Amino acid sequence: MIRCALFGPFRPGVESLRPVLYRIAYAWCHDASLADDLVQDTLSKAWTQRAQLREAAAMKAWAVAIMHRCWMDHLRARRDFDNLDDWQDAIESAADTPEACCDREQVIACVRAAVARLPLGQRQVLTLVDLEEFGYAEVAKILDIPVGTVMSRLSRARAGLKVMLDRAMRQTTERPALRRVK
Amino acid sequence: MNSGVSDETLHAFVDGELDVAEREALTARMQADPELARRVCAVRTLRDMVRLAYAEPPAAAPHRAADARDRFARRCALGCLVLFVGLAAGWVLRGRENPVMAALAPAVHDAAFQPVSLAREPDPNRILLHLDSGEPERMQAALDHADRLLVEAERQGRQMQLEIVANSYGLDLLRAGNPYADRIERMRRRHANVQWVACNQTIARLNSQGAAITLLPAARIAPSAIGEIVTRLQQGWTYVRV
Repeated sequence: MIRCALFGPFRPGVESLRPVLYRIAYAWCHDASLADDLVQDTLSKAWTQRAQLREAAAMKAWAVAIMHRCWMDHLRARRDFDNLDDWQDAIESAADTPEACCDREQVIACVRAAVARLPLGQRQVLTLVDLEEFGYAEVAKILDIPVGTVMSRLSRARAGLKVMLDRAMRQTTERPALRRVK
Repeated sequence: MNSGVSDETLHAFVDGELDVAEREALTARMQADPELARRVCAVRTLRDMVRLAYAEPPAAAPHRAADARDRFARRCALGCLVLFVGLAAGWVLRGRENPVMAALAPAVHDAAFQPVSLAREPDPNRILLHLDSGEPERMQAALDHADRLLVEAERQGRQMQLEIVANSYGLDLLRAGNPYADRIERMRRRHANVQWVACNQTIARLNSQGAAITLLPAARIAPSAIGEIVTRLQQGWTYVRV
């Protein structure tokens, strides 16, 4: 209650975005503790920049845009990229190729692995559109790219994902179950 | 393979980004073109799989040290806050022992009766007592307080106006047949400067619940207690909640 009085209605509002932000962050980096750090960074930045938020309805997109910048900052700090834009289309993840998908758990692991292997730019667009149902225009604003780029990245991301998953499915059917014995 | 529809358009369709006309056109083509329908279905399936994959992201490992530090910091912050509020309140309330407040002595003696006024100096001669509780001791206290204020004013030869506003459960004070009816009647006869005000909103609410409301002859009805209080405050009255 004291908190509420101190921080006003803003705090609980942005705090309620935590699960949403975490899901997006996890889909971007596939690292639970890094995702948690990103969300924490984002929430504290959102708090200091709260004056920039014009309408409460746009809070989610606004917070995600902040998280995008946090993520870019993080990547810049981690590796010295000369030009991050070049890298948007490079495959970054060292994750394993999506392997056999049998049950639900494996489908999940499989899709995550495939998403992790998408180029960063495509991964961001795909997760924002698919997970949070942002409109193309919103995604363009969040990531600060043209709408056309959003559409082409999304289409390439889905095509790439489909190829990877199809390959994984085929492997499952071709490979005898005995291969899984350890 | 593309049957004339680009992947981008297809994705836009699935994501609900097309306008109505485009959407209808594509739906019509899908019915005629099973290949197109299959592509749309594939995109939908893919989207659902991605959604499923991140429906329950793994929880981050709790940072124990950070948590403990955080909690400690929070506790410190709270302590500081309490200290600060205390100091600030002390500072703001310093030198409150002025003559006008002394005139309001009965009000001040009892810590529960904290007068509120929009005027810089609370007016000791125009006081509104607000009662919204049905507890007997609160009603008793309201009447005792009113008596004290009136007697004090008489003793000092001041012309004072007193208004007792009752709403919510406090309305019982002004209903006919309550245990304080006689006392109120006596007070009314003795002091012409006292008004008893009942909140019409409360009355309406009780009426709607099927209770028949008969008020004491002393009581007058105001449209709402809050309105009455605000009006009086604006007129420079001093507000005391019992």
